[in-house]
Amino acid sequence: MSVSGPAPIEVQDLRKVYRQATTGQSVVAIDKLSLTIAPREVVAIVGQTGCGKSTFFDLMIGLEAPTEGSIVIGGKTPYGDFDHFRGQIATVFQQDRLLPWRSSLDNVRLPLELIGVAEAAQRERATAWLERLGLKNFTKAYPHELSGGMRQRVAIARAFVVQPNILLADEAFGHLDEVTAAELRETFLALARECGSTAILITHQLEEAIAVGDRIAVFGKSATLLADIRVSQWEKSEHAVLREAIQATLQGNQPDPRLRRT
Amino acid sequence: MSLEERHASAVEFQFPRQTLVSILIFAIAWEALSRLAPYLGIPPFAIPSFITIGKSLIQITPIDVAVTLARVIAALIVSFVLGLALAMAMYSSHALENYLHPMVRLLMAVPVVSWILFAVLWFRGVEFRIVFVLFAVCGPVFLVDSLDAMRAVPRELRGMMRSFRPTTLQYFAKLMLPAIVPSIITSWKINLSLAIRVVTIAELVGAVTGIGHQLAVAQELFSVADVFAWTLVLVVLLFLLEAVVIRIEHRLLRWRA
Repeated sequence: MSVSGPAPIEVQDLRKVYRQATTGQSVVAIDKLSLTIAPREVVAIVGQTGCGKSTFFDLMIGLEAPTEGSIVIGGKTPYGDFDHFRGQIATVFQQDRLLPWRSSLDNVRLPLELIGVAEAAQRERATAWLERLGLKNFTKAYPHELSGGMRQRVAIARAFVVQPNILLADEAFGHLDEVTAAELRETFLALARECGSTAILITHQLEEAIAVGDRIAVFGKSATLLADIRVSQWEKSEHAVLREAIQATLQGNQPDPRLRRT
Repeated sequence: MSLEERHASAVEFQFPRQTLVSILIFAIAWEALSRLAPYLGIPPFAIPSFITIGKSLIQITPIDVAVTLARVIAALIVSFVLGLALAMAMYSSHALENYLHPMVRLLMAVPVVSWILFAVLWFRGVEFRIVFVLFAVCGPVFLVDSLDAMRAVPRELRGMMRSFRPTTLQYFAKLMLPAIVPSIITSWKINLSLAIRVVTIAELVGAVTGIGHQLAVAQELFSVADVFAWTLVLVVLLFLLEAVVIRIEHRLLRWRA
């Protein structure tokens, strides 16, 4: 249940520095990242392992505070105004992260319980979302009784059940087989469009980023923004070139000249 | 096999054949030794026959059993509630944990007999003494087990839960407490046998009711049959309480594969 309407996400000079517990040295995970995401936009973030994508994800959720800079959504920050975003930001993680002691239905109900929706309405909405995701006959099943793809469907239903303004997905389909991943990706995208949610997908798969994103943000080392690509400016027939250009950008840690049109 | 059938088969009753056989062997050996005692130079009262023990069993006073049972359950509930509440507070506050953890470790190192002596010297009321001793012995076990279990809740689940922005109460109610149920059940099993033994010793020393007191009376009367009968009651009581905990365990953990 959205508390307020969708607002742009403004990331301004974001910096996150960690101190390593073992060595005591400082590590710059994100360095001066600036990015604006319009309401209802679907943005795919690609980058190599360890480039700061997951740190950005945690900062977007509000689990951690930025060292410098800010993330502002409708005048509020996810970390500083943590409770304000209850029911407005939902997440799909790499692993399903379902609670093993709850049935599918009860897992999907969880976000509704947290925002105080009446129990009958919780059940009704959670059942409806499970049905939409093809799990009509598995509402009572526990996570261990479901396949990986089915569990991720439950996790997607859990994210959408609050009809959030902002959806965050961190490598949500990367661990699934190709067919299941493609199917779930399409479902996710269709539902995000239908709910009018702003979606940020973190992925290391370029095919996935091109297939899903309105925009692709290419992160270099310490989450520096190497390229900000509007996918609509590329014809479908050019997607292979786009893929190669992003690949070259990631490998060289600098924008590939072929990306200049965006 | 349907899901329901699979759940049902997980809690299927199994006839304890081996257990019964081993008990039967012990009983036969005891009875044989009892009959042979006069020929072996053992005094007749030392190994009473099952007929004598049976007579003692008939004379068991239910009120003493009920009193001991009530003391054990009440003290365990108090220990559990306070231990869990402290564990939650310590999990939430590192500063509190840093202060309390060494103290808890220290309390756990104190022998049961010392607690009983402290209780006798410090307090007048028998009931309060017993609850105090049981709390001092069982409380830290609940606390340490709960705290360790909370720390072991996977980071991924904690991150997922926090991403939905629960209140502190919701965080514990929806994630932490259900996640630590298996550890809590184990703590209850450990503390049940601990509490039965501790309450018996405490009653033996400073009570005028309960099974421990009756054991003290049996000792004064040199009645091995009475000691055997009351011990049997204690063992059966422990098994019954454990059976209840196992029943609750099956109910609460039916989600497990």
